[in-house]
Order: sequence, then structure tokens, then C-alpha cells
Amino acid sequence: MIHTHEKQSMLSQGILIFIYLAVLTGLEFFVAISFNSVPLLLVVALIKAVLVVYYYMHVYQLNADGGEDENSYEYKSGTNRLGLWLFLISDAFVFAGLMVVRVNLLGLTRPHLNQTLGLAVTAVLLISSFFMNRGETLMKNGDRKGFLNNTLITFLMGLGFLIGVVFVEWRLAAHEGLTPSSGTAGAVFYMMTGMHAFHVLTGLIFLGVVLVNGRRGLYDEKHYPVEAAAVYWHFVDVVWIFFYPALYLIGTALLA
Amino acid sequence: MRNRNPVLTGLLLLVTGGAIGYGIGLGIDSLNSGILDWAGSVPSAFALLFAVTSFFLGVYGYRGITRGLVYQVLGTLIGGFIVTGIRVAMGLEPFGAFFFTEPAWVFGALVGDVSFLFGVGVVSDWVKWARGIDTPEHHEDEPGWGKYLGVSLDHKVIGIQYTVTALVLISVGGLFALIFRTELAASQLQFLTTTFRLFNQNGPQLYNSLMSLHGMIMIVSILLGISGIMNYVVPLLLGAADMAFPRMNAFAYWVSVPASVLLLMSLVLGGFDTGWTGYPPLSARAPVGVQMFFLGVFTAGWSSILGSLNIIATVIRMRAKGMTAMRLPIFVWASVATSIIALTATQLIGLSFQLVMFQRLLGMGFFDAAKGGNPVLFQHLFWFYSHPAVYVFILPGLGVISELLPVFVRKPLFGYRWVAMSSMGIALVGFLVWAHHMFTSGMNEYLRVPFMYSTLLVAVPTGVKFFSWVATIWGGKITTPTPMLFVLGGIVVFLLGGLTGPPNATVSTDLHLHDTYFIVGHFHDTIFGGFVFPFFAALYYWYPKAVGRRMNEFWGKVHFWMMTPSFFVLTFGMMRVGLLGMRRRIADYDPALGFDLSHLVMTIAGYLIGLSVLIFIINFFRSMKHGEKAEGNLWNSRSPEWQVPSPMPAHNYAVPFVVVGEPYDYGLPGSKYVEFVHDPEHDFHPESTAHPKMKAH
Repeated sequence: MIHTHEKQSMLSQGILIFIYLAVLTGLEFFVAISFNSVPLLLVVALIKAVLVVYYYMHVYQLNADGGEDENSYEYKSGTNRLGLWLFLISDAFVFAGLMVVRVNLLGLTRPHLNQTLGLAVTAVLLISSFFMNRGETLMKNGDRKGFLNNTLITFLMGLGFLIGVVFVEWRLAAHEGLTPSSGTAGAVFYMMTGMHAFHVLTGLIFLGVVLVNGRRGLYDEKHYPVEAAAVYWHFVDVVWIFFYPALYLIGTALLA
Repeated sequence: MRNRNPVLTGLLLLVTGGAIGYGIGLGIDSLNSGILDWAGSVPSAFALLFAVTSFFLGVYGYRGITRGLVYQVLGTLIGGFIVTGIRVAMGLEPFGAFFFTEPAWVFGALVGDVSFLFGVGVVSDWVKWARGIDTPEHHEDEPGWGKYLGVSLDHKVIGIQYTVTALVLISVGGLFALIFRTELAASQLQFLTTTFRLFNQNGPQLYNSLMSLHGMIMIVSILLGISGIMNYVVPLLLGAADMAFPRMNAFAYWVSVPASVLLLMSLVLGGFDTGWTGYPPLSARAPVGVQMFFLGVFTAGWSSILGSLNIIATVIRMRAKGMTAMRLPIFVWASVATSIIALTATQLIGLSFQLVMFQRLLGMGFFDAAKGGNPVLFQHLFWFYSHPAVYVFILPGLGVISELLPVFVRKPLFGYRWVAMSSMGIALVGFLVWAHHMFTSGMNEYLRVPFMYSTLLVAVPTGVKFFSWVATIWGGKITTPTPMLFVLGGIVVFLLGGLTGPPNATVSTDLHLHDTYFIVGHFHDTIFGGFVFPFFAALYYWYPKAVGRRMNEFWGKVHFWMMTPSFFVLTFGMMRVGLLGMRRRIADYDPALGFDLSHLVMTIAGYLIGLSVLIFIINFFRSMKHGEKAEGNLWNSRSPEWQVPSPMPAHNYAVPFVVVGEPYDYGLPGSKYVEFVHDPEHDFHPESTAHPKMKAH
């Protein structure tokens, strides 16, 4: 069992990383409205992504091979972890491809979107990642109740993000004439947000499964599924870290 | 009930089910359109779905693959009717030219795809996990051939499922080729004429559909073929009990079955005339068949992605003790290299096809110049996968050549490290060459030269392999049983493919060669040399391991000596007419060009290749019962899988092995690759194939 001060330090590390992310997002927004420098935005997004990949997704755990016994739960979790990361690498190519499409078709322009709403949904997704990290850490510390509460908050915030994008943002955009068939800006916007929303939806299903089974006490000993759901959720967040500036911040807005 | 032959029952039901499906389709179609169209798409679509399902019902009963297909048919109909219902509610036209409208077909096909997976039962363990129910690590398979038509988690069973599916698809794709090859035998249109009608297409349209599908069905069959060999062999070479993720392994196989059905559906639903590349704007206007084609490729892509994920994880996590990176068999290196490409780049062809799908369904203007879209962008996304894809096809084959050559020349493999790294080199350089397909397509001109040089760079790691093969053969004690014949044939044919590559990679010559039959000849050389010959070599070589009997040697040699010369005639003919100006992908050519004789010879050669493959397939299935028994180390190999008796027991090695030496030190006295470590917990009898259940995990 982990000592109390170690538990505390893991939780406070999560808070610290979240503060960094929040500050960087604010900085990103400020850069966008004052300089609109694409390289600078890219650097900020990269820093945010590295923070999430390292501190929330624990990419370094790929090195922990789980010992000698190939039949132990630890070893198998190590294999599963590798499999999940390979899947995420593969999935990242879809999003990278969408970025290529965006850059090729829109260049230094962007669809005209509601900035307040964009910042709001981005904040919701980032905060949900914080609660996910907290839930996962508490699970590993053996605090089932804390894990369930934090995962539930993550789930609700994720749902909020999905509703915000699909039912609010899409409607507002369509109302202003930005539809899938209105031109390349609309096509790129709906394809990128749609593909991301699909991943948010699968992440929510994953979280829902983990929540239900967590209530039954399934993960008190073997909690790799919680880690997997958390890593996947953070991955969806990392994608949005790049998609948000690409859709909302870079270049000049095109009026539909 | 009397003992019936399941295949005969299946064929009987195939005809009956096909007829019933055709009748139902005809009825629906005539009710919908008011005319009785015997050669329409809807009757054919129903006939196809019903015939395939009934066949498996007769062979296997209502379980496994049959249930999957029934679910797929029902899912397609349900999905189609849901969209049709929504259209009615929205006041849109409910039905289209092919009964369902295009969105209804697409959604129906997607629902059918997923339904298949539930029906066949490959996701049931995951559903149980999601509900918090644990499932046993090892399922016991039923004895006999029944396990091959249902879900099995054994990598060897899955490997054979992949291989047989690949052979089925090779036959279908080859049949398509023979049909349009026959039309090409003489100038003018002979039987695929403009008055000919089938699947709602006239002759030239059908020619285009068959030509396009020949490409994609062969590609899928190659992907399944390499997966088959990798699935069967890689865990055995590593000393693993199974793949890292057995359920995902089964899933990766089973998604390829609805994918194959969708590809065939694309032929009957109006076909498509875009070639296998599906470039917009043509693919944005083609009949609804192109959507089935997109979905089929997308689904098959998942098979490739998840299969390669599994290979990489297995190689990293499940090696025997002592098997360091530089003691891995070359075939494993090649599998990893190919898997790296398939894992990542495949997503891009999926994305590019999805974008066209959405362009057609929702009017999204990605590649529609009228809306500010860019058709060339599609080609970039498409070729980012589709060029590296040819390295996916050939790398395992080149690995097979390097793996088998030392066995049959009884000499160490020359330059092991270089050969191992050359596979990775080809994989990595392969990511940088895609735009050489686009020298004439209007992309920015300054991109031509860098892509020309990166393409020529591929010759360097490939050349390393050739030097290694030649140096390995040099001074060896060569024996030429059938697998070795195919290895040597593969080397020669692949050399020909390699030498005809640089003229296409060089911008100045490619501007003339682009879209001619020369490209077709070059491509078939590389794929036969890099995949087909090594694939046959691998099948002849590892067949005894799987079956305990060997394939008939005489008919194997007939296969080789019939296929190889015919193949040379075919591709030399292709390159000849190509250099003289014959365009690819066309149903007819001007008699004044004087190509009639060349095409006639090529067609005859094509039929001989088809006949030789038929001989192979008969030999393949006949030898399972009647082949000569071969339970020992038939090829006198050092590789671990040959140190245990054939056929391989269910959970592989009863006694684990440790790697103690280099893999290919043939002919070096006293050298050893693996040593089996006696484990006092087990009582080891090398003769017994019956295997006590694995230690419970």
C-alpha cells in the first residue's frame, strides 16, 4: 500500500498539472486574439499535449514490464497497456489526417464560430481530464468511493462536452449558415468535430462500463480497466488540445 | 439421418437459397419500379446474400459463420428500413434505383457489418467483460474441421482461417481477371458489349467493375494471406502459447468476412468504374456500389490494423528466453516492419474513403472543386497508405524468402543484421514516397524531385536483401523441393519487378509510362515476386506443420513449372504493349495498334496461371487426407517449430525453449539455435501430441 504522503503528492501533482493546463489554455486564447501566431499556438498546444501524455496518461509506464512471470496480472496489464498505446498511435493517424485536410483546404482561414462556446467546451473537457486523473489515482490508492465520484463527474462533464458540441455548437453554426454542404469550411468543421465527438461517445461508453462495474467492486484488486478508460479519455482530450486551436484560433474567420 | 456430405448439402442449398433470394429480390424490385428487370441489381444482391448464407447453413448448420451471415443480412435490411422510415418521416423519396436509397444502403451495410460480428459471436467475451463477467483464458475448440467455421481463439486456427479465406478471395479476384482478360484477347468488344446487361450494368461498365474489384479483392486477399502466415508462424517462432490478444486476433479475422461480402455487394449494386483507387470526382459520381466498396475496404482495414497491433505486441512481450532482437528470425523482423506500416498508414485510406462517402451522403465538399475542395488532396491521403501498402504486401514475403533460403542451401544467412534492418528501412522509407503516384496528377511541381529521390532510395534496402540472398545461395548445397522452387522463383520475379521500378520512379520516364500497361506489368512482377511466390513457398513449407502431412510434391512442381513461365509471358507482354502505348484499365483498344496477338498470348498465359492455381488448391485440400505423412522435421530446419512433432499441439510448446545461438547457422558443426528446457512440473514426451491442459492462469 502506498503511504499517505505519497497519495497526497500524487493528488497534488494532478492539481498542479491542471493549473498549468488552465494557464496555458488562457495563454493560448490570449495569443490567438493578440498576435495570432501559428507557431506560437502550435508550441502551446504541444506543451499541453506533453503535459497530459506524461502526467495524466503516464506514458512512462510502458517501461514497467510487469516482472518475469508472464501469467501474472501485472505482466498482462503491461501487455494490455502496450496494446492500448499502439491503438492510440494508430488512431492518432486519423486525426493527423484530418489536420492535413484542414490545413490543405482552409490554410490560414477558419470557420466563423462562437468563441465563448468554444472556450467553454474546451474548459469542460480539460477539467474532466483533471477529475479523471483524480479518479484513477484514488482507485489505485484503494479509495473506491472517491474513484466513483470523480469518474461520475468526468462522465457528466464529458456528456456536457458532447451536448455542447453536437447539440449547441452544431445548431448555432448551422443557424449562421455553416452546414456540412455549405463549403469546405463547413465540411472540415463538421468532419473534425464529428470524428472527435464519436471518440468522446466511445469514451463515455467506456467510462459508463467502468462506473457500473466499479460500483460492484470489480476493480478493487485488478484495476487495469480503470487505467485504460482514463488513458483513452485523456487521449480524446489530447486530440481536442490540437483541434481547438485548429478550428477556433488559427488565422482569420471566414464568414459563411 | 444418413451421413451426408456437408459440401454437397451446402452447394445444394447455395443454389436453392440463391434462387429464393433472386425471386424475392425480383419481386421487391418489380413492386418498387413496376418493371420486371431480370438483370437488375436488387435480385442479384438478394441472390448473393441468400446463396452465401445458405451455403454455410448446409455445410455447418446455424452457428458460427452462418449465424453471422444471417445477422448481416437481417442487419442490412433493418438498417436500410430504418433510414427509409426516417426518409418517409422527413418527406423525402423513400426508395431509389436499387430499392433502398444510397444513405439507406450505407447505413444498412454498416449495421449489417456490426451485426455479423455479434452473430458470429466474436464480441461475446467483451460484452461479458463489460457486464463484469470473467471469461476463461483458453477456450477448447471442437475437434475436426468444425472449429474453422466458428470463432476460435487459437492463433493456429485463425491463421488457417485467414489463409483459406485468402485462397477463396484469390480465386474470386483471379476469376474476375480471367473474365476481363478474355474480353481483351482481341480488339473490339466481343462479349462485354454495350448490349450485354448484368447487375444493372452494360458490358463495358461491368468490365470496369470487374477490373476495379480485381484490384481490391486481390489486395484484401493479400492482406489476409500475410496475416494468415504471420498468425500461424510468428507465435511459433517466438515460442509463445498464443498471440498477445487472442480475442482481438479472432475479431481481426472475422471482420474480414463481412468486408468480403461488402466487396462482392459492390459488384452487384451497380458496380463502380473508378479502378481500385476510387479517385474523386469519378468516385463521387459512381453508382451506389462504390459506397459498398468503401465500406468493405474500411472494414477490411480494421482487420489489418488490429492484426498488426497484435503482431507487434506479441513480438515485444511474448518472446522465449534468450531471444534478443538480433536473434529474432528474419520473418519476425519482416512481420514487425510490415505491421508498423499497416498499424498506422491504413487509417489514411480509411479516412480518405470516409471523406468521399460523406461527400456523397451529405454534400461535404472535401474533393469537390465547385465548393472549394481539392481532388488532389484525396490522392495524397490515399497514397499515403496505398504506396506503403505494397511494402505491407511484400515485406512478409521477402521475410519468407530469407527465412527459407538458408534451410534449402544449408548455409548461414548472409548478413543477418543487414537483412533484419533492411525490412525496417523499407518500412520507414516507404512512408516518404507516396507522391510518386502523382507526378502527372497536377500536384505542385517542386514536389516531384524529392519524391523521385525518396522512391529511388527504396532500392537501397531492397538491394541489401538481394545481395544477402545471392551470397547465401553462393556455394550452398542447394536442394529444390517445391518450397525452394517458389523461393527461387520469387527472387527472380521480384528482381524483375525491382528493375522495372526505377523507370516509373524517375519523373522524366514516368511522364510517358504513367497509366500504361507497363505499370500493370511492373506491379504484377513486384506482387508476384514479393507476395504470391513466397506465399506459395510458405504454404508448401509450413503445410506439414499444420496438417501432419505434406502436399503432393509432383503436383507442386507442376504448379510451379506451369505458373512461372506463364507469368513471365504475361508480364513481359504487359510491359511490351505498355511501352508501345497500350493504356491500362480500358475495355477495348484500336485494332490498328497491332496488339491483338500480344493480348491473345497474354490471355492464354493468364488462363495457364489460373489453371496452375487451381491445381494448387486441389492439391491443398486433397493432401489434408491423402498426403504423405510428415510428422517430423521434414525440411531439417533449425527453427523451433520443427523440433516438435506435427501437427502442432493446441497450446504449442509443452516444454518451453530457450534461445542459445544464432538462428541461421546452418552447416556450422555443434551450433544450436534453441534448447528445450525440461520443466520438472511437466512430464514431457516429445512423441505425444496430446497435450495436458495448460496450467490455469
